[in-house]
Amino acid sequence: MNDISSASLRAFELLISGDAQLWTIIGVSFSVSLRAILIAVPIGLPVALLLAFGRFPGRRMLVTTFNSLMAVPAVVVGLTVYLMLSRAGPFGDLKLLFTQTAMVIGQAVLALPLLIAMAHAALQSADLRAWETALTLGAASPRALLTVMHEVRFALMAAVIAAFGRVIAEVGVSLMVGGNILNYTRNIPTAIALETSKGEFAQGIALGAVLLFLALVLNFFLNLFQGRGELA
Amino acid sequence: MTETVLELIGTRMSFSGKQLFDVQRLTFRSETCLVLTGANGSGKTTLLKIAAGLLAPDRGTISFDGRDFSWQRAYRSLRRRVVYLHQFPYMFDASVFDNVAYGLRRKGVPAPEARAQVRQALEWAGLSGHTSQNARSLSGGEKQRVALARARVLSPHLLLLDEPIANMDEEGRERTLFFIRQMVSDGFTVALATHERQLVQQVAQLHLRLEGGRLIEKAVPARTRLKQTRVKKARSA
Repeated sequence: MNDISSASLRAFELLISGDAQLWTIIGVSFSVSLRAILIAVPIGLPVALLLAFGRFPGRRMLVTTFNSLMAVPAVVVGLTVYLMLSRAGPFGDLKLLFTQTAMVIGQAVLALPLLIAMAHAALQSADLRAWETALTLGAASPRALLTVMHEVRFALMAAVIAAFGRVIAEVGVSLMVGGNILNYTRNIPTAIALETSKGEFAQGIALGAVLLFLALVLNFFLNLFQGRGELA
Repeated sequence: MTETVLELIGTRMSFSGKQLFDVQRLTFRSETCLVLTGANGSGKTTLLKIAAGLLAPDRGTISFDGRDFSWQRAYRSLRRRVVYLHQFPYMFDASVFDNVAYGLRRKGVPAPEARAQVRQALEWAGLSGHTSQNARSLSGGEKQRVALARARVLSPHLLLLDEPIANMDEEGRERTLFFIRQMVSDGFTVALATHERQLVQQVAQLHLRLEGGRLIEKAVPARTRLKQTRVKKARSA
């Protein structure tokens, strides 16, 4: 009990003292996950749009596939990306393994199914009258599509936030393709796993507190956007 | 002499293999208020949406400007010429002003001109006091008036109203009908679909009934014809 109390106290000290190593780890986490989301969004939203409004053979199967992929564990995604980027893999020549770029790619792959599934659900819930009203008021189809997206913007933002929440807290992909290199690819989840395995809980607790705080903030915005989405 | 604004020829529509209607000819004449009646599910809304370029028929020709087109070739032009209003008009999640300005912005009307037109339309609809209010917070009748103002600023060749006074109280009905009559007397070509026959007496200059998949022309009560003549006389004077 005393160990936990002293570790917690030490964790608090680390956080408020601006410990360079701790804040580098936090920085890597945010930098990698934000870049992953910035890549996933321009890919995921058009796919969601296509699945929601496109009519082509195999559409339903694709929707089911993306819904199923949401449940794939991060380590499986990590393993797949590892195999792709390893020396023997098809992209081995790029020498990306154990770099932040590899982590970004892995996290973007991990985020995509969730982002697509949630954005697809949001777009499908859009009122058909929004589309028809935009068209009858003279909007061309692409502009009408933007209008519909704007109408469900809160649900779309919720999808992006949920995807960000998924990647910033994952450990499987980061550990496998990032390699947990200090001051380079070590992020919050991999650092927590490492410090805990060493029996040094202070940094783990401090980083856990950051993740917990982030989870609270993300959920606050998620609820806010979902609530607005229902009102809209 | 009224001119033909738009004509649907040989329009056939089916759903799940069952034929909904096969309309030989539906002509929208300028400055005329056409009332399309029919039972629920008879296909009134579908017919209006085809005319608005929002729904493709199984078969049919669209005629305007003295030329015939297939629906697939005409739908873009239809969307520029015709404005369709839903039974419960959709309000974008934006201010009343932005809702009314939406179509003008799509047409590329310069901002100062668009602003003036929107203000004028809102004044016409008695909504000047609601300019910056979110359109979704308005009552059903007010939303209908926003939708009418939104259509009015675009000066469409044809305005299609789907059950415009359904689910309104007496006051809301009267008010909405007043604005519809005013648009007709201002020279707009209006067609409205309704299952309420009393609307025929109140606004119709031409009454068509969609029954058993066919259009049947019905007599218009004398009182409406009188009103029509009075409007025309007033305009020519």
